[in-house]
Amino acid sequence: MSKKTRIPPMLKRAVSHIFTKPVTTKYPFVKPTLPADFRGQQVFDINLCVSCGLCSRDCPAKAIEMVVIDGKRRPQFKLDSCIFCYQCAESCPRNAIKSSVFYELATTDKSSLVLKPQASVERRASPQ
Amino acid sequence: MPNSNVNIISVIESKLKDKVQIQPGQLGTAAIATTNGLHREVIQTLLDADEKTAITSITGLDLGANLGLLYHIRTSNAFVTIRAEVPRESPKIQTITDIMPGAVFHELEVADLFGIVFEGHPSPGHFVLSDNWPEGVYPLRKDVNPYDVKLNPSKDVITQPSDGKQVKIVLGPQHPALLEPEKFVVTVDGETVTRVDPRVGYVHRGIEKATESRTFLQDVYLVERICGICNSIHACSFVETVEKILKIEVPQRAKYLRVIALELNRLHSHLLTLGHAGLEIGYETLFQYFWRDREPIMDLIELTSGNRVYSSLMTVGGVRRDIKEEDIPKIKATLTDLRKKLPFYRQVYEDEPSLKMRMKNVGVLKREDAIKLSVVGPVARGSGYDIDVRKDEPYEAYGEIPFKEIVYTQGDTWARMNVRMDEVEESINIIEYAIDNLPPGPFRVKAPRVVPAGEAVNRVEAPRGELFYYVKSNGTAMPERVKVRTPTYANIPAFLKTAIGESIADVPSNFVSLDPCFSCTDR
Repeated sequence: MSKKTRIPPMLKRAVSHIFTKPVTTKYPFVKPTLPADFRGQQVFDINLCVSCGLCSRDCPAKAIEMVVIDGKRRPQFKLDSCIFCYQCAESCPRNAIKSSVFYELATTDKSSLVLKPQASVERRASPQ
Repeated sequence: MPNSNVNIISVIESKLKDKVQIQPGQLGTAAIATTNGLHREVIQTLLDADEKTAITSITGLDLGANLGLLYHIRTSNAFVTIRAEVPRESPKIQTITDIMPGAVFHELEVADLFGIVFEGHPSPGHFVLSDNWPEGVYPLRKDVNPYDVKLNPSKDVITQPSDGKQVKIVLGPQHPALLEPEKFVVTVDGETVTRVDPRVGYVHRGIEKATESRTFLQDVYLVERICGICNSIHACSFVETVEKILKIEVPQRAKYLRVIALELNRLHSHLLTLGHAGLEIGYETLFQYFWRDREPIMDLIELTSGNRVYSSLMTVGGVRRDIKEEDIPKIKATLTDLRKKLPFYRQVYEDEPSLKMRMKNVGVLKREDAIKLSVVGPVARGSGYDIDVRKDEPYEAYGEIPFKEIVYTQGDTWARMNVRMDEVEESINIIEYAIDNLPPGPFRVKAPRVVPAGEAVNRVEAPRGELFYYVKSNGTAMPERVKVRTPTYANIPAFLKTAIGESIADVPSNFVSLDPCFSCTDR
């Protein structure tokens, strides 16, 4: 230690922070802006689906089950198993699965995390 | 005499030519097939020829009538795999722990998962599997279905009474200082640690077994989940290994994009540890500041990959998404911001008396011990043992990017943390260079889903050190065997060595300087 008493760098920095704005955000009230291609909840377009089942076959988490709707096999997403890798979107030959920036999926009712193909164009809750 | 420029293959050829079969270019620099007992001679020859000879891993294999063993040995300029086989009926082989102490845990793991008995092992017993695991069931053998395993009823553990002045302190499996479940039984005499008994495997998930029942494509996402912090590097190493079997060359742009993803990973991992070290020694302000500055890096990962933690960028044949031109200014601005903050942290690590008291001369690991115990990554580089896979065996675009290999010689906790501090700056340089020199062209090539029969090894430099992958394919869409050796598994011996003789109060700060990750250790 030198003879001259120095203010420790950390103390200097800590005091200077009294006059700056906090870095934390007030999350539920102020939402972060996400990049446009964020991998959030899937949006499935039933009109583009050709019932090939590639999404279900490639899903690493086995979160996609093919169910029969109006006589055709359609993917049903179980978001509680989903790892949001978006391999399904990559495997889909018709781009029927798209990403969204909706991420607030916490729920007390697990059954609401199953995206039924007929209603799947609607999100579980409105993003706004 | 030890010489770092010696040609290992010619040395073995001249000494053991008529006894072993050398297959150049296979599984690293060369694979050396030995018959029972000769593996020790080969390792001894390697040890005599090169002072930096150390063990990377031991892979067990189920070959049907026989059980295979692959000893992966690294030297300063080569990576050698020694093949050995033992009959399935009486799987016994001589231990190598007497000539190579770093192999202790590797042998324990193979013994647990394949039932191979290592004759002369100093501390046999369960290490990875739980104590109530049934006798004679070895999970990685092909005839074992993990769903059929019935565990024995667990018995109460009887703690032996302490003898004399020695007191046993059990750290873990749940302990406030160690955030992940692992156990260290520390024996203390007064305040001085005299003995450490480790036990891992509390969260063993059997990922190596699980890969065998999933396709190569699905396995990329599975191995990515071995570790949350260094997820990109796990996925990258796996796809590189598969690409080696497939003999695909990845486009140049993909190599640079991979480097950017890997270095962003290293950045946030090192910032996490540097802050976590502050938490462990009771300096929470430092912890908060580091984690605050880590957050913009997480945002960059989100920006480039679409998710904060799991980037899921790697795929066989390239990367899954390109970097967008309009994002580059933001990436550069964030990195410049972080670089401006580094001198302050350096000064804190240099000047702050409380940090110095808790870190300087704590847990000193000498260079010769580091080599003997085969430690990797910043722990090795903090002890003057200069190994960095990015330099030694450049993968992706690392051969074209200029960067410094950070080596400190003190070997204490402070040196290990400063290696990381300097590597943060190097990582920023690497990302900036990669972005400025990003080659044009495609970022992925189409890869077949069915991988031809073959095997390959791969080493990469994860934030915590050398990460090793071995993949064997049998010509189907699913791998026959995937072996992962994570850096923490190789670094635990360093903690056992350095904790002894020091105060019990220094255990947390010493331990955190290894940057332990038990999610990795218990695959």
